[in-house]
Formats: sequence, C-alpha cells, structure tokens
Amino acid sequence: MIAPGIKRGTAELAVLSVLEDGPLHGYEVARHIEEQTHGSLRFTLASLYPLLYRLEKRGWVRGVWETSGTGRRRRCYRLTPAGKKKLAPIRAEWSELFRALKRLAKVSHA
Amino acid sequence: MRDWEALVKQRLAGLALEPEESAEVIAEVAAHLEDTCEEMLRQGMTEEEAVGRALAQAGDWRVLRHKILAAKRKEQVMQKRVRQLWIPGFLSLILCLLFQAALQRLGLQPRIVWSGSSSPILYTPWLAALPFIGALAAYVSSRAGGSRATVLFVSVFPALALTGAFLLMFPIGLAIQGITGSQGDFSIVATVLLRDGIGWILVPGAALLTGGLLAQILNRTRSSSPQTAIG
Repeated sequence: MIAPGIKRGTAELAVLSVLEDGPLHGYEVARHIEEQTHGSLRFTLASLYPLLYRLEKRGWVRGVWETSGTGRRRRCYRLTPAGKKKLAPIRAEWSELFRALKRLAKVSHA
Repeated sequence: MRDWEALVKQRLAGLALEPEESAEVIAEVAAHLEDTCEEMLRQGMTEEEAVGRALAQAGDWRVLRHKILAAKRKEQVMQKRVRQLWIPGFLSLILCLLFQAALQRLGLQPRIVWSGSSSPILYTPWLAALPFIGALAAYVSSRAGGSRATVLFVSVFPALALTGAFLLMFPIGLAIQGITGSQGDFSIVATVLLRDGIGWILVPGAALLTGGLLAQILNRTRSSSPQTAIG
C-alpha cells in the first residue's frame, strides 16, 4: 500500500486521468481509480468529494446532474477544456518526479 | 428501500452551506453510499453488513463535513465578499473620485452654502450625481446576491472611506504637532472638521444612501412583480 502522504499529492492526477476517458460520477471515479491502480489508490468520501469540489471551483472539471435509464440521479463529472490543458503539465511534473526518484533511490519498475 | 439521503442528512447536519448546495452535497454523498451498498450486496453481503460497510466508508462524518465545507465555503465566501462588497464598493468610490476630478477639470467651483467661517462647501453637480452612483453600487451588489445591509453599506462606501480618511487625520495631526512642537488651536480643528464633515461626508453620504435605498426599493418592486415571479 502507498502511504497516505504520497497518495494525497497524486489525487488530482488520478481524478483528472480517469475523467480523461469520459464522464463519471463520484462513485465511478473512486472505483475506476481503485481498479486501475489494483487497489493501491483508494479514495474515501472525505478525500474524494472535497477534491472534486475543489477541481470544480478551479474550473478543471464540471459536475452535472444526470438521470440514468433506471431513473437514478447522479452527478456526472466531466473534464473541462481547462482541465484537459492542466493534465499535461501535471503528468509531466509527476513523470519528472518519478525519474528523479528513480535516479536517486534506484526505484525501478517492479 | 433505504432512505440514504435521510441517513446522510442526519450525519451531515450543520453543513453550513446554502440550502440548495447543501441538498446537492447530501444527494451526491447518498448516491455514492447507495452504489457502494449495492456493490457489497452483489458481493454476497447481507443488507445489514452492506449498509454498515457503506456508512463506514465515510469514516468520521465530522471530518467529512469539515472537509466539504473547507472545499466549498472558503472560496465561496471569499468570492461572494468580493462580488457583493468590494467590487461595488470600490466601483462607487472610484466613480465618485473620477467624477469629482472631471468637474474640477471643467472648472466647476464648489458652492458655499451660507456665509461664515464654518460654512460647508458643497459641490452641487457632484452631489447631484451621487444618488446615481449609490444606486449603481447597490444594483451591482444586489445582482451579486448581496444582503440588504451589504447593499446599503456598499452604496455609502465612498462616504465611509472618506470618514476613515478623516479619522486618520487626527493621529497624523497630533504626531506632526508632537514632532514640530507647535500647539494647535482645537477650536479651528473642530470648525474645519465640522465644515468638511458636513460637506464631504454627511451630505454626500445622504445622497449616496438615497440612491442605494431607491435602487433597493426598485429592485424589490421588480422582484415581487408577477411578471418576474412567473419568469
């Protein structure tokens, strides 16, 4: 498992990355991240929704209430053009960090 | 069928957001818990276990409430304050100053109301424009959702700013006297304060407030008209 301190910094990248593939509601965002990271990154309600609200305030994602075929209302989040633009530099920063750590601590892919 | 919204509402009680926004947060968290519970049921848990596991996902509800508030409210309050108070307030102040500077450039002289050493100096054309400026500031604040008190505060903002400047003159004057060692005549200072206080604060403040009140009355009349209510 990844320590909470490290996870916290990766949360923005994780959320923006899964939303890049298409709109998702909060539960799906958490599930997709958990599945794609094989359970290494897990969001609690207290970490997911405040983050989604902050990203929305910044204009990087947009939440819209939608009604599914079964009549259920869910708030779907979409990546905005500003969010798409922001994703590339965030990815670059993290890649740079991983490369630096790899050089420094000889961290390599498992 | 379990009422997830009621469960969440109970646990997030005291979420100090606008009612509509609070309801949206509750609905969203409830939907998340409902989906989690259904997933647990699909995995073969009993309903009681699934509900317990779903609720446990929230962890400490006080922490969740605090984090949601921090994410939503901090920026919201700041943005609201800027839109409802500072933008219209400084807009009216700047307009007052610009208009007065323009009048001076045009050579319009202030009018002395009555003779005597303490007679206030009034810029009649400037004063005539102040109700419009006060009304404009009130309208901008009101459009941004400002409360009645905020709207009135904003409409008299230039007079309040001048009051602040006036009050600053006291300690500055005393400090100058202390440095130079000169003795000021209090009666002269009092006369000047009274004269300028009337000419630059009281009368302009009343003119601005008149505009603000009129704008508010007009706004209330418009918002309570049937046409607006239907629209």
